[in-house]
Parts: sequence; structure tokens; C-alpha cells
Amino acid sequence: MSAEKDRTDTIADHLQRCGVSRRDFIGFCSKLAVVAPFGLAITDFLSPEAIAAEIGSAKRPSVIWLQMQDCTGCTETLLRPSQPDLATLILDIISLDYHETVMAASGHDAELALIDAMKANEGKYVLVVEGSIPTKDDGKFLKIGGKWGIDFLKEVAAKSAAIISIGSCASWGGVPSSGPNPTGAVGVDSIIKDKPIVNIPGCPPNPYILLGTVLQFAKAGTLPELDDKKRPKFAYDRVIHEHCPRRPHFDAGRFAKQFGDEGHRQGYCLYRLGCKGPVTHASCSTRHYNEVVDAWPIGVGAPCFGCTEQFVGYTIPAFQTVPISNATPPATYPDVGGAHDKGYVTATATGAAGLAGGIILGAGYVAARKFSNKAGDESVPGTEGEQK
Amino acid sequence: MSATSHRWHRNVHIFNYPLFSAPFAFWGALGLIGLTLSLGRFFTGLWFTGMNDDYAWGVWKTFNVMTLTALGSGGLAVAFFCYVLGKTQLHSVMRTAVASSFLFYATGMFALVIDVGRPWNMYNMAFPWTWNLHSSLFEVALCMSAYVVIFLLFENLTYVVDQAILESDTTWRGRLRKWVPFFKKLYPWMVGGALLLPAMHQSSLGALMVIAGHKVHPLWQTQMLPAFYLIQAVVCGFAAVIFILMAASLAWRRPLDIPVLSDMAKYMAWTSFVFVAIRYIDVVIRGVIGQAFEATWYAVLFHTENFLVLIPALLFLNARIRATPRALFVLATLTGVGGVLYRFTPTTLAFRVNHPSVYFPKIAELLMCLGYIGLAVILFIWVAKRFAILPATTSDWDKYVTYLKSKNPKLRINEHGAATDN
Amino acid sequence: MTLSRRSVLRAFGTGAAVAAAGAATPAAASSRNPQAPADAIAMLYDATVCIGCKACVAACTTANNLIPDTTMSGGIWQMPTDLNSQTKNIILLAKDGDQHSFVKRQCMHCIDPACVSGCPFSALTKGKYGIVEWDSYKCVGCRYCEISCPFDVPRFEWAKFNPKIVKCEFCNHRLADGKQPACTEACPVGAVIFGTRTQLLQEAKHRIEAHPGKYYQDRIYGEGDLGGTQVLYLSHLPFEKLGLPEVGTESRAHYGSKVHGVLYKGMLIPAAVYAVLVASIKRRYKVMEEEARQEAEHSGRPEQL
Repeated sequence: MSAEKDRTDTIADHLQRCGVSRRDFIGFCSKLAVVAPFGLAITDFLSPEAIAAEIGSAKRPSVIWLQMQDCTGCTETLLRPSQPDLATLILDIISLDYHETVMAASGHDAELALIDAMKANEGKYVLVVEGSIPTKDDGKFLKIGGKWGIDFLKEVAAKSAAIISIGSCASWGGVPSSGPNPTGAVGVDSIIKDKPIVNIPGCPPNPYILLGTVLQFAKAGTLPELDDKKRPKFAYDRVIHEHCPRRPHFDAGRFAKQFGDEGHRQGYCLYRLGCKGPVTHASCSTRHYNEVVDAWPIGVGAPCFGCTEQFVGYTIPAFQTVPISNATPPATYPDVGGAHDKGYVTATATGAAGLAGGIILGAGYVAARKFSNKAGDESVPGTEGEQK
Repeated sequence: MSATSHRWHRNVHIFNYPLFSAPFAFWGALGLIGLTLSLGRFFTGLWFTGMNDDYAWGVWKTFNVMTLTALGSGGLAVAFFCYVLGKTQLHSVMRTAVASSFLFYATGMFALVIDVGRPWNMYNMAFPWTWNLHSSLFEVALCMSAYVVIFLLFENLTYVVDQAILESDTTWRGRLRKWVPFFKKLYPWMVGGALLLPAMHQSSLGALMVIAGHKVHPLWQTQMLPAFYLIQAVVCGFAAVIFILMAASLAWRRPLDIPVLSDMAKYMAWTSFVFVAIRYIDVVIRGVIGQAFEATWYAVLFHTENFLVLIPALLFLNARIRATPRALFVLATLTGVGGVLYRFTPTTLAFRVNHPSVYFPKIAELLMCLGYIGLAVILFIWVAKRFAILPATTSDWDKYVTYLKSKNPKLRINEHGAATDN
Repeated sequence: MTLSRRSVLRAFGTGAAVAAAGAATPAAASSRNPQAPADAIAMLYDATVCIGCKACVAACTTANNLIPDTTMSGGIWQMPTDLNSQTKNIILLAKDGDQHSFVKRQCMHCIDPACVSGCPFSALTKGKYGIVEWDSYKCVGCRYCEISCPFDVPRFEWAKFNPKIVKCEFCNHRLADGKQPACTEACPVGAVIFGTRTQLLQEAKHRIEAHPGKYYQDRIYGEGDLGGTQVLYLSHLPFEKLGLPEVGTESRAHYGSKVHGVLYKGMLIPAAVYAVLVASIKRRYKVMEEEARQEAEHSGRPEQL
């Protein structure tokens, strides 16, 4: 689809060629800084311009996007920023060489494009997988370009540099894998074992997590630090509960008890309505969707349903409360026996007491000196000098 | 029994010094400050003290009640050794002992009324159905009130009546004299009570902290606390009486009666040995002796308390030291300090082991605390001026009678003070 | 004379002897083993369930008409640091290495409470359902309850002219209306539940049986601790870390009155001591009086009483 030259030039060159204004690019970079993927955060670069310079100098990463058993929601999230321009910008920054939904080509042309891209960037392209992979009955539930989905995936994965499983389905199976799972749906990492895999679960995940990961790979050739479920730590290291804007209500014991009640309208904590925030590792509470503040479930008054967490999302009923184990308490929580105002010693009081003690000691000494030091001396004390 | 004898045979009041003096003014001023602040306390509550919910008892209860009553146990100590153990030579200092006991106890109870949060509910004392007979504190409150209001007051009445007989005219003298046999009949019963009640409440003061259990350091937390407090009260009582007698002698230029003082020192020493011995036996039996030798402040405190009592006691075994005025004064004071320290420990110093809370009295609290002592001191000076409570030689008595006669020539008494109208 | 003197000494020594005997024989201790009242109500707090949301703290403040303690938050929101004169119930954080647990603290409503035993004028009593209640007409404000309580529960209104002792009274005003305590009602996860003591002991035992090894020592704190309490605890951390003292099953009230109880039983010992004292003093006083009389006669100076 693109000329050979296009694939090798830098992001900045490409944007200039496509007529994207610098202003738009800087705006995009400032958003990137706020959602803060590793290495691009505002803490590493002091201004959006610095980020733009950093990203601009990188080569456009070649991305091949496969869709397996999916709903296209993850694609939608990438294409549905608050401003239409931004979607174009995203597609200009990465070189999306194959994507069934957005590419112009269809049929054999499309497959040709895939083969082209694989050949041109062999061992260098990033494979993004969306949707779960059916494995039951040799994976006969999905056919792409005349191949079983599972074989198709293995073929494309074999020549990729890294794989990003976007969405809960690609991460562990997602919706199709929740019982009874007739297709034997699994995530990518159950099938591909010999490639670095990054799981970005979510239904859908925040596209900036994908962008951050891809751009880091494009610039530095590295993948972000991952947790034990292969999720990037920069986005999945904490549970939603820890930064939830409704957390103070939780800490104060104020809960909405049903939808539409007084507490719900006041914006109280949704835990009793079945919010899975306390057990769900995700950054939704700090990275809202579509660059719109409060555009995320809890922000609009719906309890979190735990989409990024295997065995929580699609497994525990949406309105059932979850047991909270070891939610990190607020730093201001009073400790057992460590209360803050348990009396204090004032300098004046100790000084006064010391002074009084000193006076008593001195008086005692003076008095003692007045008593005779002779055994059996019965004379009037204090008159020793007057005695003959 | 010559007129020049140094033996204390009689009691006289201070007649050759004015009431108002520098010490009187000093202690009086302190007392006044204390009283004023105490009055203010009824309008403000107790927020200005250093007390908190972890150290609910501050310096008033610990010092003014627990400690001063120990120092005020002179009446108990002297009366027990005099009337029960037959050390009749101590009779001459009885009046000083009971007068000081009364004042220490009275100010202690006054401090208690200031200390409690809702003193107006004290009327419950009059309703036996509210009494909690399981409570050590109730026992202390009841016994202490009864002791002060009935028994100590009776003992103190002796010198008041005596003085009244001496100074009244014929009619009143006759009327008062009619009561003397009754007084004498009642006396043993009252003294018996004046021994039993302090013994009961001094031991109950110890029992107070037993219920606090693990909050008190194991070196002090023992079922023997009541016994320790009682024995310590006797030691402190003797120490206080020796101190007061010697301080009074110094202040008002009076000769000392060394045999009586050294006898008291001897009894104090023996009581101290009992105290220290059972303390060590107690920690050994309870198996916490190891904690007394760890590098902690508690261990240092434990030994300091014991040695402040034990070392004077050992030195007092020597008859020469016992007969030396300066040694008597210093060592008796040290013993008193040791006793005071011990009284302070279970309620404050060794209370709330390993707890972040701290307590130190605030200035106002300290001033009130000193104020109550000031009150006791000026009252003692007044009593010593007005009534014959200080022991004196027979020749002092004769001088005193001469003074009385010169001041009031109408008094019908002879040169020895005996009534001439019967 | 020798006889009376010895008997006096013996009588005086009885206190010490009884004290020693009391300390030495645990058999005497079991003679007064308090039983929970038949109608005893209770709370069961499960630290493994508690989410630390403090709903109970807020509910308690509202139900008991307390003024929220906002000192630490600069007057903005309720933020007590411990039980205090405005806080009858609090959730604290217990840490044990990198593990932590919440713990709810309020009056434990001991079966044999030290505060009730120590209160001089019975202002604190064990009332209906075994609730430890406070009577403002009897309390003199001596604060002995604060000294004696092994759980440091009673708090004093230091700043008030007319101070009260503040402690959980099991929402007895709500119980009278047929409602359960505010804290158990407010808890969103059922970490603290309300019931009779028998029911809740059974429930706690079921939980331990269902999850062996989950709970510390597979034990219910308060079943027998310090004579038994009407607030029961289950925890995954050691109870000591939660601020619950591990000091055996003997109630403080019993420990504290071992000597006291024996010495003053029926006032027999004091009466006997008094009799001996008076007898001894009478003998001595007679002799001394006679001597004084003779001395007065001899010297011509008046007798001093």
C-alpha cells in the first residue's frame, strides 16, 4: 500500500509529508505525556515539544493487526478519539500495514499486502492481535484468507518482532472464553510461546497504552516492564480502587445502595453496587477514555466490572460485591497504638519542675549543713557557731 | 528529769516567733495560687492538665494522694510502734505525727476533689446502695474520709481540748474537764481505728494498680502491691516525722532529743529491711528478677527505689550514725525520697510500658500541686503556733507557761501550768 | 503482753500472708469463674472481611449524637486517630511486616469487666443483655475505669466543664427500639455482625472449621480472653498486632480483687484486727495514763492528753 521509502522514514518526515500540522502533533504529544506510557512521561521530558522531538526522530513502526474472534471494539477505541483528526494522526504515526477493518484493500489484494508487509519488515514488525483464538476441533471456528485462524496467527507471529495482545479476548480469551466456551477460545500467549508478548487487557483498553508500548518499541526497541500477567506495569500496576475519584467516599463509609438513590446521585462509592475496582488492576481511574474527563464506567456512575482482570471480568456477576483483600489503606490511616496526640512534654513544665527540684535539693543541702555532724549533739540546730 | 534535761517530755506551741515570716509568706503565696487555679478548674474542666486518656491519673492523684498520704502515715507508724509494740518513748512525738498526718491527708483529699471530673457527684458517698464494695478505689475513698473525719480529727482534738482547758476561764474549764474521762475512754477505740483504717486504705492504694494488670511493668505488678504500699507507708511515715521534727527544730531554734529520733530511725531501718527483702523475694518468686538486671530504665528505677531505702537503713544500724543530727536528717530525707519514688512508679513511671503516650504535668498542674503542699505547710505553721504539738523539754514548758501568764495575767494557772482553780 | 503483741503482729501480717496465698494458688482463682449472662448479646468482627471503609465509624457518630472528631483533618472531615471523647468506635490499621489488617475498636463488654469492678460508686454497671453501661448521676469522674480497662476503652472529656466518660454502650437506645447497633447495621460487607453471644460463637466456629488455617491460631478472641468478652474477634494477624492484649483468660476484675476479696470478706479480718488492736492499746494506754498521772502529780504540771 505504501512506497518502500515511506516505511523507512521517520515519523516527523512522514507527518510533514502528509500535511499534518506541527500544532496537531504537539497537541497529541501533550496528551501522550499525560497518559504517561513509560519513557514518554512528562517526568522524563519537560515539554510536549521534547516528546515530539523524541517521537519525531523515531522510524514509523510497522504494525500488522490481526483480528480473530473479536467484536472490533479494540479497533474502535483506536479510531474513536474525541477529535476525528486525532485518529488520522494515530494512523499516520504508526505504519498500519495490515488491518482488515481499516485497510482499503479487500480479498486477495489484502492478503497480498500482508505478504508484502511481512516480507519487507521480516523480524521487525509489531504484531497486534485483537480477539481470542478458537482452539477446539483444531480451531475450525475461524477462517481468514482460507486458513484456520490459529494457523494464520502462527504464520504471521513467526516473523514478527513482538506481539501485543490488545483487549481481554487476546489476553486470555475474554468474553468468548467465559463459560461454557464452545470454541475453546484462548489468548495469544497460550499459543505463541517463543515471542515477546505484551497483554493489554480491557474491554476495550485505552488506546494510549497501545500507542505508548508501540512507540517505546519503535524508539528504543524495548518493551515496557511487565507484571506476572504480561501487562505493562506503567498502566496495570495498581488497582482502580487506589486512585478512584470516589475513594474518599469509600474511606468514609458512604456507599450508593441502589441505582438512582440519594447516595448514587451524590456520587458515593459504588462498591455496594458491585464495583470491581478494588480487585481490578487498570489505570482507568487515572487515564480516562477519549480524552474526555470522567469518560469511564465509574466516572459515569456505573460500577467497574473488572474487564482487565481474568476471573473477574465476565466471570463474577456484574452487580455482585467482591471480597476485598488487602486493599492498600490510605497513608493517613491511624495505626494501632500509634495515635498522634497522646500527650506531650512542654519545655516550660520540665524546666519549672527541674527548677523546683533544684531549689529543693539546694535547700536540703543548706539545711543539712546546719545540723551538727557530731554524734549525740543535742544542741539547737543552726546555732553551732554560737555555742561555746 | 531535771529541768535542763534535753528529753522531750511535753508538747508546747511556738510562742517566741511571729506567725508571719518569709517561709510562711512563700508557702502561703503558693497556696493562694493553688487555690485560685483550683477554683478556675471548676469553670474550665481539666483540659489544661497534661493528663490524657492513657495517663488518666496525673500528678495530683499520684503525688498529692498516693505520695502525700504515705508521708502522712506518721500517725500510723508512730501510733503502731508506741501503742501496739510498746515503744512508749515515742509518745512525745505523737502530736506532731498526728497533726502532720491530718494535714497531709486533708490536702490530699482536697487535691482529689479537684482532680475528679465530677466532684458534685461525691454525694453518692452518703448513699450506701451506690457503694461498690468490690472497688479498691471506693475502699480508699471511704476509709480515707472516715480516717480523716473521725479518727484523725479525734486524735487532733486532744491538743485542741488541752489548749482550751489551759486557756479558758474557770467555768469553761470545768465544763471541758467533764469531758476528759470520756475522751480517755474513747481514746483506745479511736487509736485502734486510726491504725486499722490507714492500714486498710494504704494497702488498697497498692491494690489500685493490681487491676491495671499488664499496663504496669512486671517488676512492680504483683499481688503483693498492697503489702508493699502498707510497709512503705510506715517507712515514709517515720521519715516524714523525723524530717518535720528536725526541720521544725531548725526553723524555731529548738533542741533535739536524739534518743527519740534515733529510735525512730532504728524502727524505720528495720521496716525498710522488711520492705526491700520481700520486694526482692517477690520478684524472684514471680521469676522476673532477670528484668531487674536488663539495661533498661525500669531496672535502674527498681534498684534506685530499693537502694534509696536500703542504704540509709544499713547506715542506721550504726548507733553513732543514728545519733548524728546531720546523718539523721540526710538519711531520713533520702529514705523519704525513695518512698516517694516508689509511690510514683506504678501509677506513672512504670505505667503504660512500651506505649507511645507520654505524660508530664503542665505548669498550672504543678503549681496547683505545690499549692496544696503550701497550704499544708502554712496550716502546720499555724497549728504549731496555736497549739502545743511540738515536743519540748520540761524547761521549755515552764518558759511557755511564763509567756502565757505574762500575756494573759488573768489565767488561773501556776508557774508549772497547772490549774489553780480546782 | 507477749501474747497480745504476737497476735497483733500475726493479725497485721495476715494481709501479706493472704496475698502470698492468693498469688500462689490458682485454685482460688477458678472459684469465681464468671459466666456470660443468659441474654448476652454480642458482636463478631472478622478482620479478614473488613475493608476499612469506616462506615461503622460514621454510623456510630450519627447514632450516638457525637460531634465528629475533625482535628486531624483541619476541621474538614471526620478523622479520629483513636478512640476519644468524640469517638466510641474506630477502625484502626494494624501492620505486621508487609501484611496489614484493619481492626475495629470499641468497648469489649467484658463478661467480668475491670471497669465495673473498679468503679467506686457503681456508675459503670453490667446491665441488660450484659451491656456495660455508664450512669452520669453516679460517676464522680475519678477515671479509674481508664486505668483498669485492659483494652483502653473508656475515654474522658478532658475539655468539658461537666465531663463524661465516653464509651460504646452497644447502642442500647437503638436496641430498645428493636434495631441493631449502628455499626453492625452500617457494615457493607458484614465484617461486624450482631447476634446473641451463643449464636456468634457458633458462627465463628463454623468459619474457622470452613477455613482451617485462615484464622490466627484458629481461635476466637474474646471467647475466654480476660474472662470472656461480648465482642468477638477473628483475625488473620496475631491478635496482639491488632492491639488486643494476650494476657490469659483470667479477668482483670478477678485478678485485681484476689487479695482484696479475701481480706474484706464479710469484714471478718478487719473486725478481728480491730479487736486485737483495741485490746492491745487499752492495756498499754492504761499503763501510760497511770504514768502520766503520776508524773503530773509529781511535777505539778498539767497532764497532756
